[in-house]
Amino acid sequence: MNQFTYWTKFVARNRVLYVHESLFVSNNCDNVFRILNKVGLKAFSTNSVRFCEKKDNVVTSTQLNEGESQTKQPEQKEEQHVLKADDGGTVSDQANDKPEQILAKSPQPEAETVKSGKESLLDLLGAMKVEVTNKRKLKNMKIKQSFESATQYNSKPEGMESTISMFQKATEEASSQSETLNSDLVAAASAAAATLPNRSQAESELLRQLRQRKALSEAQKRGDMKNIGVIIADMKVGKNSNRQNAWPSDQIRFDDDGRGYTHDRGITSELAGVRKWRNVFQAKRLSIFSPATEKDGVKPALAKPTLWDMDFAHQLCQSTNQMPRNGFEEMIQWTKEGKVWQYPIDNEIGLEEEASVPFHEHIFLNKHLEQGFPRQGPVRHFMELVVAGLARNPYLTVQQKKEHIDWFRDYFHQKEDVLNEADVYLT
Amino acid sequence: MAASGRHVGHYIHRNGRFLRVNLDHLWANRSFGWTSALQQQAPEVNKDSSESIVIPRKKTWSKTAVLEALASTVKRDPTAHPYQFQDDPYLAPRTSAEFRLFSLSQESGRSAAKFFVNNNPKFFTKDFAEPHIPCLMPESVTLRLEEVSEEALKERISLRKVTAAVDMYDQLLQAGMAVSMETSHDLLDLVCLYCDKDPEQEEGPQGETGEEAKGRRGRMRRDFPKTLWKENNNAERIFNLLPERDTRCYSALIRGMVKHGAPAKAFSLYTDLLNNRLTGDVHLFNALILAAPELREKYTEKWDLISELLNQMSQQKVQPDLLTFNSVLKALRRCGYVAKTKALPTLSEMKAMGISPSLATYDHILAAFFKSASSGTSNIDILLEVLSELEGRSFTCQDPDDVLFFSSAMRVCLDGKDLELGYKVQTLVEVGDNWRLLGDSFQQSIYYGRFFHLLCMMENIDVVLEWYRKIIPSLYYPNPQGMRDLLQALDTDSRLDMLPTIWKDIKSLGHDNKSELVEELLALMAREKHSPEVQESFAECALNVKSVCDGRPGTEWSASSLSYITTLLLRANKTQEAWEVLLVFKAKNRIPSEELLNSFLSACHTTRDSRIAVELVQLSSAFCLPITSALASRALAEFNLTEEQRAVLSELEVAVESSD
Repeated sequence: MNQFTYWTKFVARNRVLYVHESLFVSNNCDNVFRILNKVGLKAFSTNSVRFCEKKDNVVTSTQLNEGESQTKQPEQKEEQHVLKADDGGTVSDQANDKPEQILAKSPQPEAETVKSGKESLLDLLGAMKVEVTNKRKLKNMKIKQSFESATQYNSKPEGMESTISMFQKATEEASSQSETLNSDLVAAASAAAATLPNRSQAESELLRQLRQRKALSEAQKRGDMKNIGVIIADMKVGKNSNRQNAWPSDQIRFDDDGRGYTHDRGITSELAGVRKWRNVFQAKRLSIFSPATEKDGVKPALAKPTLWDMDFAHQLCQSTNQMPRNGFEEMIQWTKEGKVWQYPIDNEIGLEEEASVPFHEHIFLNKHLEQGFPRQGPVRHFMELVVAGLARNPYLTVQQKKEHIDWFRDYFHQKEDVLNEADVYLT
Repeated sequence: MAASGRHVGHYIHRNGRFLRVNLDHLWANRSFGWTSALQQQAPEVNKDSSESIVIPRKKTWSKTAVLEALASTVKRDPTAHPYQFQDDPYLAPRTSAEFRLFSLSQESGRSAAKFFVNNNPKFFTKDFAEPHIPCLMPESVTLRLEEVSEEALKERISLRKVTAAVDMYDQLLQAGMAVSMETSHDLLDLVCLYCDKDPEQEEGPQGETGEEAKGRRGRMRRDFPKTLWKENNNAERIFNLLPERDTRCYSALIRGMVKHGAPAKAFSLYTDLLNNRLTGDVHLFNALILAAPELREKYTEKWDLISELLNQMSQQKVQPDLLTFNSVLKALRRCGYVAKTKALPTLSEMKAMGISPSLATYDHILAAFFKSASSGTSNIDILLEVLSELEGRSFTCQDPDDVLFFSSAMRVCLDGKDLELGYKVQTLVEVGDNWRLLGDSFQQSIYYGRFFHLLCMMENIDVVLEWYRKIIPSLYYPNPQGMRDLLQALDTDSRLDMLPTIWKDIKSLGHDNKSELVEELLALMAREKHSPEVQESFAECALNVKSVCDGRPGTEWSASSLSYITTLLLRANKTQEAWEVLLVFKAKNRIPSEELLNSFLSACHTTRDSRIAVELVQLSSAFCLPITSALASRALAEFNLTEEQRAVLSELEVAVESSD
């Protein structure tokens, strides 16, 4: 991976590929951005963004480039007037570029077998797996692609997928190309070099680079694994502290959990601002019901809860987590159960029916002595003391106080004879 | 209170100018403290100004308002145990098994006490509390009314004694007494709800805050009915005996049939209802919609039935409620590909009806779009949309399925490896009381398990560790897989020096008996060489691992983990301890690798310990390893040996060679 990074950096220095990258990138920058990122190449992709900005004027032409790269038949179009001279070279380079990416990646599966002892390495590699699950779908799309891509700029996902399919196509080619330096490659390199001022030097540089790459990949194939071990040990995968701008696009998407995840959603996040084109909540309604009228809503409120309602409430209560998290929440629970005093503290809680009784009923109890008691004498005196005591007793209700007095009345009536004998009951 | 105080402050602030003017005056006339003077004076000052006073209206606070305000000031303490365990610090759970045990025993203790109080009311007659606290007094659970009357029937219904109530009803009919419509409704409800069986004794008391066992049981009960509806059971018999049947009777029966797994009967009863020119109620339709997928084979036919039911609802002027649409969506989950096309229109219909969706609604929709990556709109897109709609809102539980939303949303994030979305879900959980909707502790551990897995996979190790401290173990007891994820995250970000601390956590989480996890930890520690300090701490950790695992009976040492320990000890120059581990190899019949023995010999060489070197060679010969002679000759060459040792070694060297 390191080597690949190194290589692409080298390419970036090369002006031909500069042009190619900017061309390719400028119309669907985020797609390339992502694909490159899939290979864990962040520095590179930021470069391409910069190019993208520079080369805004090429936007119209590059869509066609993409289509051409699909069919592998570079055609000169009138719209490509901006970089007309470069065009042939650029497109073919683009085609060449891909296999090289693949080859740079090809050692990984081999390394996987060699280093299988190391779990962590496996994980790294597992994380490196490029998704292939949507291959079938993409193959179908590829046929349409060359037509669509020229016309549909706004359908971003298609644009994106086309680059992926190109990538795959390149993968297939890559396997056949590994034997010798393909004549196509050589031709492409020379074509690319033709666009540069110093033609022969550029060409030889390009070819040297290609040979280097081939030698490397073959060496790795032979089993020069130590090299790869070093490469892979230095890799950092999918982790990026700077998450704000580099969001899922720099995360490697893989499919080793077997859940059938395929959809590359980098596109949705990148288009977060643009993605209003599709709002899932704006779907058509079923149009079965008509909105409720006011009077319908009143009826159910009056009915008393049935057993089913109670069971449903019980289910709701059970399914949620009702555990208190702190002492206050526990007190809330207790308050609802009625176990503690309510806040704000009111010391007349629970005395609701007493609240309707005015205070004079409690205090002026002498009127209850009017009937059934003697007007004067010791009994009267005793009863006045009883009433005075009752008047100060806060713990009894008025009713209880009356009952208390009534009890004495009965008592003295029963004992009237005895009292009269002693001459103390004076009527 | 605070609000009124602020009002005063506001007034003071506004009238500061007047105050300043009158300040001298105040000082002259008042002798008491000037803050209180200020407050007393404020209204007077107001009178001077031409502004009219707006007296705030008296607010009636709910009885828990003060406590709620106070509770909102308490933040979660990630270092503390959950509140419900704070009474018994000694028993505070450290593993999920202990957590379950503790919370279940707490709960069963409560219900046992309640059971005892309720069944022995004669011992609990004293009412100390003033005002009276009803929930502390025994509830009447036994039947009081013995005579045959409608009152007795009502009592049996309210105590949920199904068989007794049915008996009483029969007796009433035999005695020729009429039962009022209301009571027969209640009776039918009772018999249908419990499917003609007495509810379990403990169900009442266990209900309120029962823990995960109950949660799991509850889920199961919902999906697979415990008791099956029997042909001609008492519910149907009573229904047939009724002189007249109205919608509510039909509704009770249909709901009971759906609840207890007799959907076909429910639909035939619904036809019966239509033939009797009655209209259904919303509950009946909800139940039927839920049962609809079981009656048809094909996905499209299922949906046709559901939409037919909805149309009939609309014809009969029955207003749908939240549960209607949730039932439609829940039924759609079993309609395969149809769900994708119909789920969103259903949601729109719901919104058009002015019913705001609950979390369960969104959960069903996410499920409908599960695995739909090929069609373009994945459930990640849906979730993104849902979350932007729900952002910052706090929810109450409106549907028992609401509690499934968060864990399934997190699963979507995990499947899509979408960390940002995962954070969004977590933020939503943190809003208000939404954490309650995570469900019981089982659901909660699923949710946090997924979240933690996602973090370990995608996030920077520092952030992972921050979350780790935040949620473990106060909210979540990770399983061994979770700990392995963490180990891998540490490995990815080259923070292996953290391993000894993680080992301590593994110990306290009770995962030190999971041999794969321990071996992985040892392998990670032994894989590379680190700085001397780190090696020192690793060696200590390895010794600790060894002592912990030795202390447990029945530990099976594998050769690899023993050699990891030995390597770690050797790297920290603890030759003596390493030698002891090497002896364990012998005791446990494990064979050390040649590599290990070689490095052991080198370690002996650096510490110039010839005795151990000789013993090492002897040990190797005891194992009959082919490397013995090589070791012996190396030892002979490299060490300063006594004559005796030399003799032993040369004998070994020759002996092995000859045996070859």
